[in-house]
Amino acid sequence: MINSIEVSHFTKKFGDLTAVDDISFSVAEGSVFAFLGPNGAGKSTTITTLCTIQEKTSGELRINGHDVSRQKDLVRRDIGIVFQENTLDGKLTVEENLRLHCDFYGVARSDVKGRIGFVLDLVDLADWRRALVDSLSGGMKRRVEIARGLVHFPKVLFLDEPTTGLDPQTRANVWEYIRTLQHEENITIFLTTHYMEEAEICGNVAIIDHGRIVAYDTPRNLKKKFTSETMNVVVTDGVTFTNYLQANGMTYHNDGEHFTVFANGTDEVLGLVTAMRGIISDIEISKGTLNDVFLAITGKEIRQ
Amino acid sequence: MRPVIAIMKRNLLKFMRDRMRLVFTLVMSGLFMFIFSFATRSMAAGIDHPMNYLIAGIVIMQVFQSSLSNSMHILEDIASGFMKEIIVAPIARWQIALGQILSTMIIAVIQGYIVIGASFFLGFRVDALHVVMMAGLMLLTSFTFSSLGLLLAALTKESTNFQLLINFLTIPLVFLSGAYIPTTVLPKIIMPVVFCNPLTYTTAAFRFIALQMEKHPVDTLLGAGVAFRLGNMVIMPATGIVLSVVMGLVFFTLCVNRFGAADFSRIKVFHRRHG
Repeated sequence: MINSIEVSHFTKKFGDLTAVDDISFSVAEGSVFAFLGPNGAGKSTTITTLCTIQEKTSGELRINGHDVSRQKDLVRRDIGIVFQENTLDGKLTVEENLRLHCDFYGVARSDVKGRIGFVLDLVDLADWRRALVDSLSGGMKRRVEIARGLVHFPKVLFLDEPTTGLDPQTRANVWEYIRTLQHEENITIFLTTHYMEEAEICGNVAIIDHGRIVAYDTPRNLKKKFTSETMNVVVTDGVTFTNYLQANGMTYHNDGEHFTVFANGTDEVLGLVTAMRGIISDIEISKGTLNDVFLAITGKEIRQ
Repeated sequence: MRPVIAIMKRNLLKFMRDRMRLVFTLVMSGLFMFIFSFATRSMAAGIDHPMNYLIAGIVIMQVFQSSLSNSMHILEDIASGFMKEIIVAPIARWQIALGQILSTMIIAVIQGYIVIGASFFLGFRVDALHVVMMAGLMLLTSFTFSSLGLLLAALTKESTNFQLLINFLTIPLVFLSGAYIPTTVLPKIIMPVVFCNPLTYTTAAFRFIALQMEKHPVDTLLGAGVAFRLGNMVIMPATGIVLSVVMGLVFFTLCVNRFGAADFSRIKVFHRRHG
Protein backbone atom coordinates (compact mmCIF):
# COMPACT_ATOMS: atom_id res chain seq x y z
CA MET A 1 0.00 0.00 0.00
CA ILE A 2 1.16 3.52 -0.80
CA ASN A 3 1.51 6.05 2.00
CA SER A 4 0.15 9.53 1.37
CA ILE A 5 1.70 10.98 4.48
CA GLU A 6 4.94 9.89 6.04
CA VAL A 7 6.33 11.50 9.15
CA SER A 8 9.46 10.33 10.87
CA HIS A 9 11.07 11.74 14.00
CA PHE A 10 9.32 15.06 13.64
CA THR A 11 10.11 17.57 16.39
CA LYS A 12 8.94 21.16 16.69
CA LYS A 13 10.19 23.53 19.35
CA PHE A 14 9.10 27.04 20.14
CA GLY A 15 11.99 28.42 22.12
CA ASP A 16 12.28 26.19 25.17
CA LEU A 17 8.85 24.69 24.68
CA THR A 18 8.71 21.41 22.80
CA ALA A 19 5.31 21.33 21.10
CA VAL A 20 5.89 18.10 19.20
CA ASP A 21 8.44 15.63 20.45
CA ASP A 22 9.92 13.11 18.02
CA ILE A 23 6.78 11.63 16.49
CA SER A 24 6.54 9.18 13.59
CA PHE A 25 3.51 7.88 11.75
CA SER A 26 2.23 7.20 8.27
CA VAL A 27 -1.15 7.39 6.61
CA ALA A 28 -2.15 5.02 3.80
CA GLU A 29 -3.60 6.44 0.60
CA GLY A 30 -7.37 6.69 0.65
CA SER A 31 -7.73 6.23 4.39
CA VAL A 32 -9.07 8.43 7.13
CA PHE A 33 -6.62 9.16 9.89
CA ALA A 34 -7.33 11.06 13.08
CA PHE A 35 -5.11 12.85 15.49
CA LEU A 36 -6.78 12.81 18.83
CA GLY A 37 -5.78 14.82 21.84
CA PRO A 38 -6.58 17.69 24.16
CA ASN A 39 -5.95 21.32 23.24
CA GLY A 40 -2.28 22.11 23.18
CA ALA A 41 -1.19 18.52 22.64
CA GLY A 42 0.55 19.32 19.35
CA LYS A 43 -2.19 18.47 16.85
CA SER A 44 -2.34 21.81 15.11
CA THR A 45 1.42 22.19 15.15
CA THR A 46 1.72 18.93 13.23
CA ILE A 47 -0.94 19.97 10.74
CA THR A 48 0.51 23.43 10.12
CA THR A 49 3.94 21.92 9.57
CA LEU A 50 2.55 19.35 7.12
CA CYS A 51 0.75 22.19 5.33
CA THR A 52 4.02 24.12 4.84
CA ILE A 53 3.00 27.03 7.04
CA GLN A 54 5.53 26.29 9.73
CA GLU A 55 9.06 25.02 9.55
CA LYS A 56 9.95 21.88 11.49
CA THR A 57 12.78 21.86 14.03
CA SER A 58 13.95 18.39 12.98
CA GLY A 59 12.75 15.17 11.38
CA GLU A 60 11.34 14.37 7.98
CA LEU A 61 7.81 14.92 6.67
CA ARG A 62 6.61 13.79 3.27
CA ILE A 63 3.35 14.08 1.41
CA ASN A 64 2.96 11.87 -1.65
CA GLY A 65 6.71 11.45 -1.50
CA HIS A 66 7.41 15.20 -1.61
CA ASP A 67 9.49 16.70 1.17
CA VAL A 68 7.44 19.26 3.07
CA SER A 69 10.40 21.58 3.70
CA ARG A 70 12.14 21.39 0.37
CA GLN A 71 9.36 20.80 -2.17
CA LYS A 72 6.80 23.19 -0.77
CA ASP A 73 5.03 23.98 -4.02
CA LEU A 74 4.63 20.32 -4.97
CA VAL A 75 3.19 19.63 -1.52
CA ARG A 76 0.91 22.66 -1.67
CA ARG A 77 -0.43 21.53 -5.03
CA ASP A 78 -1.46 18.16 -3.63
CA ILE A 79 -3.20 19.21 -0.46
CA GLY A 80 -6.45 20.84 0.56
CA ILE A 81 -6.86 22.35 4.00
CA VAL A 82 -9.77 23.28 6.17
CA PHE A 83 -8.37 25.31 9.01
CA GLN A 84 -9.62 25.47 12.53
CA GLU A 85 -10.53 29.13 12.18
CA ASN A 86 -12.32 30.92 9.39
CA THR A 87 -10.00 31.73 6.49
CA LEU A 88 -12.55 32.92 3.95
CA ASP A 89 -12.67 36.48 2.72
CA GLY A 90 -15.89 37.73 4.25
CA LYS A 91 -16.18 40.71 1.92
CA LEU A 92 -16.31 38.47 -1.15
CA THR A 93 -19.12 36.22 -2.27
CA VAL A 94 -19.02 32.44 -1.96
CA GLU A 95 -18.32 32.11 -5.66
CA GLU A 96 -15.59 34.77 -5.65
CA ASN A 97 -13.82 32.97 -2.83
CA LEU A 98 -13.90 29.70 -4.74
CA ARG A 99 -12.85 31.37 -7.99
CA LEU A 100 -9.87 32.97 -6.28
CA HIS A 101 -8.89 29.57 -4.96
CA CYS A 102 -9.07 28.09 -8.48
CA ASP A 103 -6.80 30.90 -9.72
CA PHE A 104 -4.30 30.14 -6.97
CA TYR A 105 -4.26 26.42 -7.70
CA GLY A 106 -4.23 26.76 -11.47
CA VAL A 107 -7.51 24.97 -12.13
CA ALA A 108 -8.03 25.12 -15.92
CA ARG A 109 -10.21 28.14 -16.73
CA SER A 110 -12.70 25.99 -18.65
CA ASP A 111 -13.18 23.76 -15.60
CA VAL A 112 -13.68 26.48 -13.00
CA LYS A 113 -17.40 26.96 -13.39
CA GLY A 114 -18.15 23.24 -13.39
CA ARG A 115 -15.94 22.54 -10.38
CA ILE A 116 -17.50 25.33 -8.34
CA GLY A 117 -20.96 23.98 -9.13
CA PHE A 118 -19.84 20.49 -8.18
CA VAL A 119 -18.39 21.35 -4.78
CA LEU A 120 -21.24 23.70 -3.90
CA ASP A 121 -23.69 20.90 -4.63
CA LEU A 122 -21.66 18.64 -2.43
CA VAL A 123 -22.03 20.93 0.57
CA ASP A 124 -25.57 21.89 -0.36
CA LEU A 125 -24.89 25.57 -0.94
CA ALA A 126 -25.59 25.91 -4.67
CA ASP A 127 -28.24 28.56 -3.99
CA TRP A 128 -25.83 30.71 -2.01
CA ARG A 129 -23.08 31.24 -4.54
CA ARG A 130 -23.77 34.96 -4.87
CA ALA A 131 -24.12 35.60 -1.15
CA LEU A 132 -21.42 37.54 0.69
CA VAL A 133 -19.57 35.17 3.01
CA ASP A 134 -20.07 37.56 5.94
CA SER A 135 -23.82 37.12 5.60
CA LEU A 136 -23.66 33.33 6.11
CA SER A 137 -24.07 31.46 9.38
CA GLY A 138 -21.12 29.77 11.07
CA GLY A 139 -22.11 26.33 9.84
CA MET A 140 -22.52 27.54 6.27
CA LYS A 141 -19.12 29.24 6.34
CA ARG A 142 -17.63 25.97 7.48
CA ARG A 143 -19.23 24.21 4.54
CA VAL A 144 -17.89 26.85 2.16
CA GLU A 145 -14.43 26.22 3.58
CA ILE A 146 -14.80 22.52 3.00
CA ALA A 147 -16.01 23.16 -0.55
CA ARG A 148 -13.03 25.42 -1.12
CA GLY A 149 -10.61 22.85 0.26
CA LEU A 150 -11.92 20.41 -2.35
CA VAL A 151 -12.37 22.54 -5.44
CA HIS A 152 -8.86 21.88 -6.77
CA PHE A 153 -9.31 18.11 -6.23
CA PRO A 154 -6.56 17.60 -3.64
CA LYS A 155 -5.05 14.17 -3.07
CA VAL A 156 -4.78 14.75 0.66
CA LEU A 157 -7.31 16.71 2.66
CA PHE A 158 -6.39 18.17 6.03
CA LEU A 159 -9.17 18.99 8.42
CA ASP A 160 -8.10 20.81 11.56
CA GLU A 161 -10.98 20.46 14.00
CA PRO A 162 -13.48 20.61 11.15
CA THR A 163 -16.55 20.50 13.32
CA THR A 164 -15.54 22.60 16.31
CA GLY A 165 -18.15 25.21 17.07
CA LEU A 166 -20.81 23.61 14.90
CA ASP A 167 -24.23 22.56 16.08
CA PRO A 168 -24.83 18.76 16.19
CA GLN A 169 -26.97 18.79 13.04
CA THR A 170 -24.35 20.55 10.92
CA ARG A 171 -21.66 18.43 12.46
CA ALA A 172 -23.44 15.30 11.32
CA ASN A 173 -23.78 16.77 7.83
CA VAL A 174 -20.13 17.70 7.62
CA TRP A 175 -19.25 14.14 8.53
CA GLU A 176 -21.54 12.79 5.90
CA TYR A 177 -19.72 14.88 3.28
CA ILE A 178 -16.36 13.72 4.51
CA ARG A 179 -17.35 10.07 4.25
CA THR A 180 -18.92 10.52 0.84
CA LEU A 181 -15.78 12.15 -0.39
CA GLN A 182 -13.50 9.50 0.87
CA HIS A 183 -15.62 6.84 -0.80
CA GLU A 184 -16.14 8.55 -4.12
CA GLU A 185 -12.86 10.38 -4.66
CA ASN A 186 -10.49 8.08 -2.78
CA ILE A 187 -8.73 11.00 -1.15
CA THR A 188 -6.66 10.64 1.98
CA ILE A 189 -8.09 12.48 4.94
CA PHE A 190 -6.06 13.63 7.90
CA LEU A 191 -8.05 15.21 10.66
CA THR A 192 -7.58 16.43 14.17
CA THR A 193 -10.37 16.43 16.67
CA HIS A 194 -11.05 16.33 20.33
CA TYR A 195 -14.46 14.79 19.78
CA MET A 196 -14.15 11.10 20.55
CA GLU A 197 -17.24 10.15 18.58
CA GLU A 198 -15.67 11.57 15.44
CA ALA A 199 -12.50 9.59 15.82
CA GLU A 200 -14.48 6.35 16.13
CA ILE A 201 -15.22 6.19 12.41
CA CYS A 202 -11.61 6.68 11.30
CA GLY A 203 -9.41 3.93 9.94
CA ASN A 204 -6.55 4.74 12.26
CA VAL A 205 -6.23 6.92 15.31
CA ALA A 206 -3.14 8.37 16.90
CA ILE A 207 -3.57 9.64 20.41
CA ILE A 208 -1.29 12.53 21.10
CA ASP A 209 -0.53 14.04 24.46
CA HIS A 210 2.20 16.50 25.44
CA GLY A 211 3.63 16.33 21.94
CA ARG A 212 4.07 12.56 21.86
CA ILE A 213 2.06 9.82 20.25
CA VAL A 214 0.99 7.63 23.14
CA ALA A 215 -1.10 5.16 21.16
CA TYR A 216 -1.57 4.42 17.48
CA ASP A 217 -3.99 1.82 16.14
CA THR A 218 -7.52 1.29 14.80
CA PRO A 219 -10.25 2.53 17.16
CA ARG A 220 -11.42 -1.06 17.63
CA ASN A 221 -8.01 -2.35 18.64
CA LEU A 222 -7.42 0.57 20.94
CA LYS A 223 -10.65 -0.09 22.74
CA LYS A 224 -9.91 -3.79 22.92
CA LYS A 225 -6.49 -3.13 24.34
CA PHE A 226 -7.25 -0.38 26.80
CA THR A 227 -10.86 -0.68 27.86
CA SER A 228 -13.21 -3.27 29.25
CA GLU A 229 -16.93 -3.89 28.81
CA THR A 230 -18.84 -2.44 31.70
CA MET A 231 -21.94 -4.37 32.81
CA ASN A 232 -24.51 -2.97 35.16
CA VAL A 233 -26.34 -6.00 36.48
CA VAL A 234 -29.20 -6.45 38.90
CA VAL A 235 -29.41 -9.99 40.30
CA THR A 236 -31.85 -11.90 42.49
CA ASP A 237 -29.17 -13.94 44.25
CA GLY A 238 -26.20 -11.81 45.24
CA VAL A 239 -24.20 -14.57 46.91
CA THR A 240 -24.19 -16.95 43.92
CA PHE A 241 -23.30 -14.06 41.65
CA THR A 242 -20.43 -12.93 43.88
CA ASN A 243 -19.09 -16.47 43.99
CA TYR A 244 -19.10 -16.68 40.20
CA LEU A 245 -17.29 -13.36 39.86
CA GLN A 246 -14.66 -14.32 42.39
CA ALA A 247 -14.18 -17.79 40.89
CA ASN A 248 -13.53 -16.18 37.50
CA GLY A 249 -11.34 -13.43 38.93
CA MET A 250 -13.46 -10.57 37.58
CA THR A 251 -13.29 -7.02 38.84
CA TYR A 252 -16.53 -5.65 40.24
CA HIS A 253 -18.10 -3.53 42.90
CA ASN A 254 -21.61 -3.77 44.19
CA ASP A 255 -24.27 -2.08 46.20
CA GLY A 256 -26.57 -4.84 47.44
CA GLU A 257 -28.02 -6.57 44.38
CA HIS A 258 -26.67 -3.92 41.98
CA PHE A 259 -23.35 -4.97 40.51
CA THR A 260 -20.96 -3.13 38.25
CA VAL A 261 -18.76 -5.70 36.56
CA PHE A 262 -15.79 -5.12 34.26
CA ALA A 263 -15.31 -7.81 31.65
CA ASN A 264 -12.48 -8.28 29.20
CA GLY A 265 -13.96 -9.03 25.83
CA THR A 266 -17.13 -10.57 24.52
CA ASP A 267 -16.26 -14.10 25.69
CA GLU A 268 -16.26 -13.11 29.32
CA VAL A 269 -19.54 -11.26 28.91
CA LEU A 270 -21.21 -14.21 27.20
CA GLY A 271 -19.79 -16.66 29.73
CA LEU A 272 -21.22 -14.67 32.61
CA VAL A 273 -24.59 -14.14 30.98
CA THR A 274 -24.92 -17.83 30.06
CA ALA A 275 -23.93 -19.11 33.50
CA MET A 276 -25.98 -16.64 35.50
CA ARG A 277 -29.01 -16.16 33.24
CA GLY A 278 -31.32 -17.62 35.90
CA ILE A 279 -30.56 -14.93 38.48
CA ILE A 280 -30.01 -11.86 36.30
CA SER A 281 -33.10 -9.68 36.39
CA ASP A 282 -31.68 -6.68 34.54
CA ILE A 283 -28.54 -6.06 32.51
CA GLU A 284 -26.94 -3.19 30.67
CA ILE A 285 -23.68 -3.65 28.78
CA SER A 286 -21.62 -0.74 27.56
CA LYS A 287 -18.54 -0.93 25.40
CA GLY A 288 -15.48 1.13 26.21
CA THR A 289 -15.13 4.40 24.28
CA LEU A 290 -12.07 6.15 22.95
CA ASN A 291 -12.48 8.49 25.85
CA ASP A 292 -11.89 5.52 28.16
CA VAL A 293 -8.85 4.66 26.05
CA PHE A 294 -7.58 8.16 26.50
CA LEU A 295 -8.27 8.03 30.20
CA ALA A 296 -6.52 4.67 30.53
CA ILE A 297 -3.44 5.87 28.69
CA THR A 298 -2.99 9.37 30.00
CA GLY A 299 -4.87 9.18 33.25
CA LYS A 300 -7.06 12.15 32.42
CA GLU A 301 -10.20 13.06 30.53
CA ILE A 302 -9.77 14.50 27.07
CA ARG A 303 -12.40 17.20 27.47
CA GLN A 304 -11.23 20.21 29.33
CA MET B 1 0.95 35.55 -13.71
CA ARG B 2 -2.58 34.30 -13.01
CA PRO B 3 -2.24 34.30 -9.19
CA VAL B 4 -0.72 37.80 -9.25
CA ILE B 5 -3.66 39.12 -11.24
CA ALA B 6 -6.09 37.23 -9.02
CA ILE B 7 -4.68 38.85 -5.86
CA MET B 8 -4.64 42.24 -7.54
CA LYS B 9 -8.21 41.95 -8.77
CA ARG B 10 -9.40 40.83 -5.37
CA ASN B 11 -7.86 43.84 -3.63
CA LEU B 12 -9.25 46.26 -6.21
CA LEU B 13 -12.68 44.66 -5.96
CA LYS B 14 -12.60 45.04 -2.20
CA PHE B 15 -11.48 48.65 -2.53
CA MET B 16 -14.36 49.45 -4.89
CA ARG B 17 -16.81 47.63 -2.66
CA ASP B 18 -15.72 49.44 0.46
CA ARG B 19 -17.70 52.65 0.08
CA MET B 20 -16.41 54.09 3.32
CA ARG B 21 -12.85 53.84 2.14
CA LEU B 22 -13.71 55.49 -1.17
CA VAL B 23 -15.51 58.38 0.45
CA PHE B 24 -12.81 58.74 3.07
CA THR B 25 -10.15 58.98 0.37
CA LEU B 26 -12.01 61.76 -1.40
CA VAL B 27 -12.70 63.72 1.75
CA MET B 28 -9.16 63.35 3.05
CA SER B 29 -7.54 64.48 -0.18
CA GLY B 30 -9.85 67.48 -0.33
CA LEU B 31 -9.07 68.41 3.24
CA PHE B 32 -5.34 67.94 2.73
CA MET B 33 -5.34 70.19 -0.26
CA PHE B 34 -7.50 72.85 1.29
CA ILE B 35 -5.40 73.15 4.42
CA PHE B 36 -1.99 72.90 2.88
CA SER B 37 -2.69 75.17 -0.04
CA PHE B 38 -3.19 77.96 2.46
CA ALA B 39 -0.75 76.93 5.13
CA THR B 40 2.23 76.52 2.88
CA ARG B 41 1.56 79.29 0.39
CA SER B 42 4.07 81.51 2.12
CA MET B 43 6.84 78.92 1.96
CA ALA B 44 6.76 78.82 -1.79
CA ALA B 45 7.35 82.54 -2.13
CA GLY B 46 9.70 83.40 -4.98
CA ILE B 47 8.84 80.35 -7.05
CA ASP B 48 7.27 80.83 -10.47
CA HIS B 49 4.15 78.72 -10.15
CA PRO B 50 3.56 78.52 -6.39
CA MET B 51 0.34 76.56 -6.85
CA ASN B 52 2.05 73.91 -8.95
CA TYR B 53 4.86 73.72 -6.44
CA LEU B 54 2.49 73.09 -3.56
CA ILE B 55 0.10 70.76 -5.30
CA ALA B 56 2.98 68.60 -6.47
CA GLY B 57 3.95 68.13 -2.83
CA ILE B 58 0.39 67.32 -1.83
CA VAL B 59 -0.15 64.82 -4.66
CA ILE B 60 3.02 62.96 -3.86
CA MET B 61 2.05 62.94 -0.18
CA GLN B 62 -1.29 61.44 -1.11
CA VAL B 63 0.40 58.73 -3.16
CA PHE B 64 2.86 58.08 -0.36
CA GLN B 65 0.23 57.83 2.38
CA SER B 66 -2.09 55.75 0.26
CA SER B 67 0.70 53.31 -0.65
CA LEU B 68 1.74 52.80 2.94
CA SER B 69 -1.74 52.46 4.35
CA ASN B 70 -3.06 50.23 1.58
CA SER B 71 -0.21 47.79 1.80
CA MET B 72 -1.06 47.72 5.49
CA HIS B 73 -4.37 46.09 4.61
CA ILE B 74 -2.51 42.81 4.51
CA LEU B 75 -2.61 42.91 8.31
CA GLU B 76 -6.36 42.72 8.09
CA ASP B 77 -5.98 39.58 5.99
CA ILE B 78 -3.68 38.12 8.60
CA ALA B 79 -6.13 38.97 11.37
CA SER B 80 -9.15 37.60 9.50
CA GLY B 81 -7.29 34.39 8.71
CA PHE B 82 -7.45 34.84 4.94
CA MET B 83 -3.67 35.16 4.76
CA LYS B 84 -3.42 31.46 5.62
CA GLU B 85 -5.38 30.62 2.49
CA ILE B 86 -2.86 32.63 0.47
CA ILE B 87 0.30 31.24 2.05
CA VAL B 88 -0.67 27.58 1.71
CA ALA B 89 -1.46 28.09 -1.98
CA PRO B 90 1.10 26.83 -4.49
CA ILE B 91 2.19 30.30 -5.55
CA ALA B 92 5.64 31.85 -5.31
CA ARG B 93 6.09 34.34 -2.50
CA TRP B 94 7.12 37.10 -4.92
CA GLN B 95 3.81 36.63 -6.70
CA ILE B 96 1.92 37.28 -3.47
CA ALA B 97 3.95 40.43 -2.81
CA LEU B 98 3.63 41.61 -6.41
CA GLY B 99 -0.13 41.12 -6.46
CA GLN B 100 -0.49 43.15 -3.28
CA ILE B 101 1.82 45.89 -4.52
CA LEU B 102 0.22 46.17 -7.97
CA SER B 103 -3.22 46.69 -6.46
CA THR B 104 -1.82 49.31 -4.08
CA MET B 105 -0.11 51.08 -6.98
CA ILE B 106 -3.31 51.28 -8.96
CA ILE B 107 -5.27 52.58 -5.97
CA ALA B 108 -2.57 55.15 -5.23
CA VAL B 109 -2.59 56.44 -8.81
CA ILE B 110 -6.39 56.73 -8.78
CA GLN B 111 -6.19 58.71 -5.55
CA GLY B 112 -3.35 60.83 -6.92
CA TYR B 113 -5.41 61.72 -9.97
CA ILE B 114 -8.36 62.63 -7.79
CA VAL B 115 -6.16 65.21 -6.08
CA ILE B 116 -4.76 66.42 -9.39
CA GLY B 117 -8.26 66.71 -10.82
CA ALA B 118 -9.47 68.71 -7.86
CA SER B 119 -6.41 70.93 -7.87
CA PHE B 120 -7.26 72.28 -11.33
CA PHE B 121 -9.96 74.24 -9.57
CA LEU B 122 -7.30 75.79 -7.32
CA GLY B 123 -5.26 77.08 -10.20
CA PHE B 124 -3.00 74.12 -10.96
CA ARG B 125 -1.96 74.19 -14.60
CA VAL B 126 -0.07 71.56 -16.62
CA ASP B 127 -0.42 70.22 -20.16
CA ALA B 128 -1.74 66.77 -21.06
CA LEU B 129 1.71 65.29 -21.66
CA HIS B 130 2.79 66.12 -18.13
CA VAL B 131 -0.41 64.72 -16.69
CA VAL B 132 0.50 61.41 -18.34
CA MET B 133 4.10 61.64 -17.14
CA MET B 134 2.75 62.04 -13.62
CA ALA B 135 1.05 58.65 -13.84
CA GLY B 136 4.41 57.00 -14.48
CA LEU B 137 6.03 58.76 -11.57
CA MET B 138 3.13 58.06 -9.24
CA LEU B 139 3.39 54.37 -10.12
CA LEU B 140 7.10 54.31 -9.35
CA THR B 141 6.62 56.24 -6.10
CA SER B 142 3.87 53.91 -5.07
CA PHE B 143 6.00 50.87 -5.90
CA THR B 144 8.70 52.05 -3.51
CA PHE B 145 6.36 52.85 -0.65
CA SER B 146 3.96 49.97 -0.97
CA SER B 147 6.99 47.68 -0.90
CA LEU B 148 8.12 49.47 2.23
CA GLY B 149 4.65 49.19 3.76
CA LEU B 150 4.39 45.51 2.96
CA LEU B 151 7.84 44.88 4.37
CA LEU B 152 6.90 46.65 7.59
CA ALA B 153 3.66 44.71 7.79
CA ALA B 154 5.51 41.45 7.29
CA LEU B 155 7.99 42.39 9.99
CA THR B 156 5.38 43.24 12.58
CA LYS B 157 4.60 40.75 15.26
CA GLU B 158 1.70 42.64 16.73
CA SER B 159 -0.74 44.74 14.81
CA THR B 160 -0.96 47.44 17.46
CA ASN B 161 2.73 48.09 17.08
CA PHE B 162 2.28 48.57 13.40
CA GLN B 163 0.35 51.82 13.72
CA LEU B 164 3.05 53.13 16.00
CA LEU B 165 5.77 52.06 13.61
CA ILE B 166 3.99 53.72 10.68
CA ASN B 167 3.64 57.00 12.56
CA PHE B 168 7.20 56.85 13.77
CA LEU B 169 8.31 56.44 10.18
CA THR B 170 5.97 58.64 8.17
CA ILE B 171 6.44 61.85 10.13
CA PRO B 172 10.22 62.16 9.63
CA LEU B 173 9.92 60.83 6.07
CA VAL B 174 7.38 63.50 5.22
CA PHE B 175 9.04 66.45 6.93
CA LEU B 176 12.50 65.58 5.70
CA SER B 177 11.47 65.17 2.10
CA GLY B 178 10.82 68.71 0.99
CA ALA B 179 7.16 68.02 0.37
CA TYR B 180 5.94 70.63 2.84
CA ILE B 181 9.16 72.29 3.97
CA PRO B 182 11.53 72.97 1.06
CA THR B 183 14.83 71.12 1.48
CA THR B 184 16.63 74.37 0.74
CA VAL B 185 15.62 75.80 4.11
CA LEU B 186 16.49 72.70 6.15
CA PRO B 187 19.61 72.82 8.37
CA LYS B 188 22.77 71.24 6.94
CA ILE B 189 23.11 68.78 9.78
CA ILE B 190 20.06 66.71 8.81
CA MET B 191 20.80 66.70 5.08
CA PRO B 192 22.26 63.14 5.18
CA VAL B 193 18.86 61.92 6.36
CA VAL B 194 17.16 63.89 3.61
CA PHE B 195 19.42 62.23 1.03
CA CYS B 196 18.65 58.76 2.35
CA ASN B 197 14.92 59.40 2.13
CA PRO B 198 13.41 58.03 -1.07
CA LEU B 199 10.52 60.43 -0.68
CA THR B 200 12.95 63.33 -1.22
CA TYR B 201 13.68 62.16 -4.75
CA THR B 202 10.13 61.32 -5.74
CA THR B 203 8.90 64.67 -4.44
CA ALA B 204 11.64 66.49 -6.34
CA ALA B 205 10.94 64.56 -9.53
CA PHE B 206 7.24 65.19 -9.24
CA ARG B 207 7.85 68.92 -8.83
CA PHE B 208 10.13 68.83 -11.82
CA ILE B 209 7.25 67.46 -13.88
CA ALA B 210 4.54 69.59 -12.30
CA LEU B 211 6.55 72.78 -12.86
CA GLN B 212 7.54 71.64 -16.36
CA MET B 213 11.16 72.46 -15.68
CA GLU B 214 12.78 70.44 -18.48
CA LYS B 215 14.38 73.48 -20.08
CA HIS B 216 15.69 75.13 -16.94
CA PRO B 217 19.44 75.28 -16.17
CA VAL B 218 20.88 73.14 -13.37
CA ASP B 219 21.30 76.12 -11.05
CA THR B 220 17.59 76.89 -11.16
CA LEU B 221 16.81 73.23 -10.41
CA LEU B 222 19.17 73.32 -7.44
CA GLY B 223 17.58 76.52 -6.20
CA ALA B 224 14.07 75.09 -6.44
CA GLY B 225 15.12 72.03 -4.49
CA VAL B 226 14.39 69.79 -7.46
CA ALA B 227 17.98 68.74 -7.95
CA PHE B 228 20.51 68.18 -5.18
CA ARG B 229 24.20 68.81 -4.79
CA LEU B 230 25.99 65.99 -3.05
CA GLY B 231 29.68 66.84 -2.83
CA ASN B 232 30.81 67.36 -6.41
CA MET B 233 27.85 65.44 -7.78
CA VAL B 234 24.49 66.82 -8.78
CA ILE B 235 21.54 64.46 -8.39
CA MET B 236 19.16 65.27 -11.20
CA PRO B 237 15.45 64.28 -10.99
CA ALA B 238 15.96 61.28 -13.29
CA THR B 239 18.79 59.97 -11.10
CA GLY B 240 16.59 60.55 -8.08
CA ILE B 241 13.83 58.39 -9.57
CA VAL B 242 16.32 55.61 -10.24
CA LEU B 243 17.57 55.87 -6.64
CA SER B 244 14.08 55.62 -5.18
CA VAL B 245 13.15 52.68 -7.42
CA VAL B 246 16.36 50.91 -6.39
CA MET B 247 15.37 51.43 -2.75
CA GLY B 248 11.93 50.10 -3.64
CA LEU B 249 13.50 46.97 -5.15
CA VAL B 250 15.48 46.45 -1.96
CA PHE B 251 12.30 46.72 0.12
CA PHE B 252 10.53 44.35 -2.28
CA THR B 253 13.29 41.73 -2.07
CA LEU B 254 13.42 41.90 1.72
CA CYS B 255 9.67 41.64 1.84
CA VAL B 256 9.57 38.52 -0.38
CA ASN B 257 12.25 36.92 1.79
CA ARG B 258 10.24 37.73 4.84
CA PHE B 259 7.12 36.15 3.32
CA GLY B 260 9.01 32.95 2.70
CA ALA B 261 10.14 32.71 6.31
CA ALA B 262 7.24 34.29 8.13
CA ASP B 263 5.30 32.22 10.57
CA PHE B 264 1.95 33.90 10.11
CA SER B 265 0.26 31.54 12.47
CA ARG B 266 2.22 33.11 15.29
CA ILE B 267 1.42 36.74 14.63
CA LYS B 268 -0.51 38.05 17.56
CA VAL B 269 -3.57 39.69 16.18
CA PHE B 270 -7.08 39.67 17.34
CA HIS B 271 -8.88 36.59 16.13
CA ARG B 272 -11.80 34.52 17.15
CA ARG B 273 -11.02 31.20 18.71
CA HIS B 274 -13.39 28.41 19.37
CA GLY B 275 -13.30 25.53 21.78
